[in-house]
This record gives sequence, C-alpha cells and structure tokens, in this order.
Amino acid sequence: MKIPRLLLFVIIVVISYGIFKAPGILLNQPIPSSLIVMYMFFAVVTTLLWITSTEKDMQGLVGPIKTMIQDPTKKTLRNIVFVIVPLVAGGITYTQLKPSYEAPVELRSIHPAPPSTVKAFGKTFNLATLVNPYRKLEKEDPAKFTQLVKEGGEVYFKNCFYCHGDKLDGKGHYAHGFNPLPLAFTDIGTIAQLQESFVFWRISTGGPGLPKEAAPWVSAMPVWENFITEDEVWKVILFLYNYTGYAPRSWEK
Amino acid sequence: MRKRLLSLIVLSIMLMSIQAWAAQGNKENGKTIYDKKCWWCHGENGAGDGPAAKFLNPPPRDLTAGWYKFKTTPFDEITPADEDIFRMISGGMNHISLWKGMSGTSMPNWDDVLKEQERWDIVAYIKSFSGLDKPAKGPIDYKNQIKSSKESIEKGKETFKKMCAECHGEEGRGDGTKKLKDDLGFRTWPRNLTKPWTFRVDNDPKEIYTRISNGIPGTQMPSFADPTSKKTLSDEERWNVANYIVSIADDVKRPKDDTVLKAMRLEGELPDKVDDPKWSEAESISFYMIPQIIAKERFFTPSLDSITAKAFYNGKEISILLEWDDRTKSIPGDEKAKEIAEGDVLEDSVAIQLPVTIPEEMEKPYFGMGDSARPVNIWQWKSGKKDASEAIKLLNANGFQKVEQRDAGKTGLRATGIYNNGTWRVVMKRQLSTEEKAKDIQFEEGRYTPIAFAAWDGSNGESGSKHVMTTWSWLLLKPATPKSTYFIPLIVVLVVFGGELLLARGQKK
Repeated sequence: MKIPRLLLFVIIVVISYGIFKAPGILLNQPIPSSLIVMYMFFAVVTTLLWITSTEKDMQGLVGPIKTMIQDPTKKTLRNIVFVIVPLVAGGITYTQLKPSYEAPVELRSIHPAPPSTVKAFGKTFNLATLVNPYRKLEKEDPAKFTQLVKEGGEVYFKNCFYCHGDKLDGKGHYAHGFNPLPLAFTDIGTIAQLQESFVFWRISTGGPGLPKEAAPWVSAMPVWENFITEDEVWKVILFLYNYTGYAPRSWEK
Repeated sequence: MRKRLLSLIVLSIMLMSIQAWAAQGNKENGKTIYDKKCWWCHGENGAGDGPAAKFLNPPPRDLTAGWYKFKTTPFDEITPADEDIFRMISGGMNHISLWKGMSGTSMPNWDDVLKEQERWDIVAYIKSFSGLDKPAKGPIDYKNQIKSSKESIEKGKETFKKMCAECHGEEGRGDGTKKLKDDLGFRTWPRNLTKPWTFRVDNDPKEIYTRISNGIPGTQMPSFADPTSKKTLSDEERWNVANYIVSIADDVKRPKDDTVLKAMRLEGELPDKVDDPKWSEAESISFYMIPQIIAKERFFTPSLDSITAKAFYNGKEISILLEWDDRTKSIPGDEKAKEIAEGDVLEDSVAIQLPVTIPEEMEKPYFGMGDSARPVNIWQWKSGKKDASEAIKLLNANGFQKVEQRDAGKTGLRATGIYNNGTWRVVMKRQLSTEEKAKDIQFEEGRYTPIAFAAWDGSNGESGSKHVMTTWSWLLLKPATPKSTYFIPLIVVLVVFGGELLLARGQKK
C-alpha cells in the first residue's frame, strides 16, 4: 500500500523533529533550539523536494489540501484548519521573539595546555622533565609505597574531599555550591589522561594559576602551595591514582 | 489453586532467603571495604576519629558508641534494625543537587559503587564495633497514619507551638531558645523544618513521625512516644505534628538550577523597607552557600546554607532584598544572644559582591574578592551591636589582601535589616550610577552582571574569612519586554489568515 503523500510528509517531519529533540529529553543533553530550527528547515525542504519530484506525487501532496478547500462537505474541517494554522504561526513567532534571560553560555578549557615551567614552593619546575619522586617505589619498595599512598589519602581527606568527594567522583558535600563543578577523578577524562607533572601543577598553583582560556576567575581550586608541602602534593597524587586504579600518563606511552 | 499455592510457597522461600542473606553480611569482607572507604572519617577502629573527622560538622558517627540517630526501632530499643544501618550506607535521598547521601552531612550514598551484598557486609562489620546484636523489638508501624488535612495540620500546629517551638522555633526554622549539645559534647543546631531538603534522611510524613516517636538517639531530640516522659504525645498528635511539619516547607528557599537574579523595572519609588508589600511581586532566586574553604583561614563548620534574593530597579536606583535563615540573632552585648551563641557573640552580616567594571566578555574578577587587574565592590551590611546600630560598609578589593574601605554614604548606598523568627531580611539600595565611575559599578539595563553573596552567623564564631559564600551568579536589570514581541506575532496571524482566504477564493473559481 502506498502511503498518501501528505501523510508521509507529515510523518517524516514529525519523526525528524523527534530525533532532534531526543537527546534533550532522553539524555538531558539538548541540541540548542537555534540549531534545531536550522535542521528542521533542511529536513522540510529536502522532504518537499523528494516528494514533489514527480507530478503524481505532487498531486498526492497538494490534492488533499485542494479537496479540503473546495469540497463543501469538508467545510467544518476547513474552518478548523484555517483557524489553527495562523495561531500556530503566531505562536511560533512569539516564542522566537520572546527574550529568554537565560544565563550566558561560557566556554572554558578544562585541561588547558600546561606552561613549560611552573613556579611553586619557591622553586621553578620544568614540567617536561618533572616526575613524581615516589613513583619508582611502586616497584622498588611496595611496602613503603603503600604507606605513602595512605599518607596521601590522609592529605586528601583533610583537604580535598569536601569538593572532590569521598568517592573521588567530584560530588563532595560542598560540590553543589560551585560552578564549575569540581573534577571527578573517577572519570576517564581527568587524571587518567594526564601526567603526574600536570596534576602537580594544577594542585600547587590552583585556580588562580590557570591560563586565561581556563577561566581562572571562576575556579574554586585553592592555591595548595599555601596550605600543604611539596611532599604532600606528590603523596596525594599517588593516592588519587591508586584509589581510582588509573595509571598516570607518561612520555613513553 | 494448587499452582497458586505452590508459587506462594516458592515466593515465601525466596523472601526468607533474601532476609537470611541480608542478615549474613560477611564481617571480614566488610572490614576490607571499611579499611579502604570508611575509615577516613569513621576512624580505624570506628571511633569517629579518622583524619577527616575534625573538619566535619556534624562529626562522623562514633560507631563504638552503639547508638544510631536514624532508626525505625522504638524509643525503648537502642539497637537499630540492620535495615536502618544499611539504608544510611546506601543513601539515595537526593534532596540537594548532586548530593545523594545524608543531607547536611558528609556521609555520601554508597549504592553507586558498592554492591548490595558489600553494603550488608559493612553492616555486619560496623555492628561488631559496639557488639550490637539483633534488636529485641521490631520497627514501629504506620498503621494509624492520619492523612494530611487542613484539620490535622491545624491541630499539629497547636501541638508544635506547645511542645516543639522551644527548640525548633515559633515557625519551625530551628531558631529555638535552647543551647543544644549531643551526648559526645558536640554543638548541635535544631533542624530548620521549613527546609525539608536539608533533612538528614527523608521528608515524607512517615519519616518525620518516626523521628518524633523514636527521638534521635544521642541528641536532645527526645521520644514523644515515651509514656514516662513529660513530653508524651498520643499517636494521633504525633501524626498531626508530622503533617504540620510537611506543610511548612518553604520551596522558594530551595536553590534551583537558574543562576540569574532578574531585577524588575518599576515606575516610581523602589521599596526600601524589607516589609514593603511590593516585594511580593518580584521574582525570587535562591543560591546554596558553602563555607569559605578556599583561602586562609578556611572555615569548616557553617550554620547557614542558602540565600534568597529579589531585586527592583527604576531609572535612578536599584534595590536588592536578601533573605536568609539564621537560627540566631547575633547582637554583641545582648544577654539573650550570649546564652545561645557558640563562643563569643559577633555581628551577623551579609554581603553582595559586584565587579567594578561589568565585563565585556567572559573575563570576570576572581570570584574570591577580585584580583589585581579587576577589582570588586563589596557591600557589607552588619547587624549592629547593643550599643551600635546596623551599618553598611563599602569595600573595594583587589584580592582579599588588598581591601580599601570607602565612604558608603557618598555613593548613596544604604541598607536596613529586620530579624524575625529565624529569618534575616536585608534591603540594600544604591543609585544606578555614581560620581566615581572608575571605582563603583555603574549598573546598565540589559547587561548580564556577575554577582556573588556571602553571609556570617555571628553566633557561630563567623567573622572575617570565616563565612559562607556563593561563587559568581548573574544579576540582570531586566528590560521591559518590547511591544513588538506581542505586535509582530499578531501581524503574522493576520497575514497567514489573509493568505488562507485568498487561497480559498482562488480555489473556488
């Protein structure tokens, strides 16, 4: 059975709209409405071009509309459609014109490119060559290493977990007060992608140490060189990787 | 029939085995998990003395003490049901955005990283800290629950005023007149019952009824079901009070996702008193406030948790109303304030922070009192002392170490506040533009302007860097909607309708 052309047109347009809306409804990651308008424009135009490619299909599309207007028995339907269409058009225009007053969108880089050298703890560190002095103990002296991880954990639970969370998932008990939200170390996109020297830089100089593209003015990350020692920074880094089970990135890999 | 009987038997066997399984948490496995995940707060031997403990308010539970605050077993049964402990470990309440653990504490939900059996294993292990056995009495039941009604709420309100207001305050905001401590000597503040999202466990009537009936062990919240107590309430009275408490929830104060404080344009005078009826027409917005844990000296024991703001402007001025729940009116020198304060009484205070220059792009001043390149204005209101009236200070800051005190009066900045039943309301007012354009923010209609808030509870030892705060949000002087917004759609309607008529006429020919 051949689907009436007008019905087919309506079905395709509705399905397209559904597909564009789905990410917002199902995944809570909506496509911006301006993009949806653009996508829908192309969807409608393409469908029209396709459906009206033959004279017969063209008739199938326009025919029912003609009948509705001309056939005296369909007068009621015609009147209803004639009222609804202008109202819908007016409604769409209004929602497009209405000012929205939503917060401006601000884009910031979460993992900005690190500088080549970092000043912290009264010294200058070369990030290209900087390594965690304790990392080698993982193989050389596992007992000592385990002890250092535990000490790093204590640093974490005295200083970091309010924001980054008991479970290192970025959902600490004060996380809801921050924008941007604290990073989740359990997330594959954070420390798992970074070298220990990068993490050292981020901890030691905190939010104010970020480059401009990362919006240092909104980051609530404290400048940790003011609170803990260089040694404690390295130990807490051991803890972060150990607890989450990720391995730091290195130049070799 | 026989088939049905059979399936019933199978089902009950299954149910029983689930229960048996629940009871048989593996203590050794529980210890392994505890030593990786729990000891940081609760301590290696469960005494609530882990490395994080002294930075937490409320402190982590001392598991050796053997009492549990949130339990379903009756008041005369100190041992909680295993399910009670299991539930506190699992969490899943989600009253505060992101946080699915116990609200207002640092106990998170563990149901996302630990399997059900693992959580039962922990139950078995932590019970061994205090040698807890099975409770002799089962959970209380809810069979006489009274459905909420106007009548029940009214009765509950009367009982509440007589029996509960002493600690929880006349209107339930926790602004009582008694200084409370728990059995371990830690200061406790009675729950603000108008903010159900801050309830530790849950906020439906059954949960509230459970707290009223069983009390909260280890705290001064007594059991109102205990017939030997002076405070006994009948079952019916307890349900009525629970229904009343549910009814006083103040959802306006619950922070939502929006971050824009929209000031509405008024023609004529702006309200400059907190009780001006005009305020009811303004849009309100609430923000979470968290303690200042970023710069020295960090602060870990807050008593305030959110702030609500409204704003109006006209051609000349802007007026901002700030409203926040504070359990204590802190006036230094006042005898009543001294009785309830934790330590010395300091002034209560609230502040608004704004950039001196509204940013053209996204680059703002550092949210913590600005930075060397981009200064901020801070308007700080203080509640006053017994021998000094309330005051507004105007500060310009380039970071917290570089603060300049300025003459607020010169810029037309004024503020006044009133404390009533556990809530401060403060109005701050200033001209849109001032003479010193390089030092004061010049407000502009339609511009998104960063704004941040801070508050101090003087009865909780808060002053200087010890306070609660928000990060940057937005203030918008919302322009009147242009008439074309309504006009153009109307034209579209008419044009389309006209087109239809032409089409119909054309077709008829």
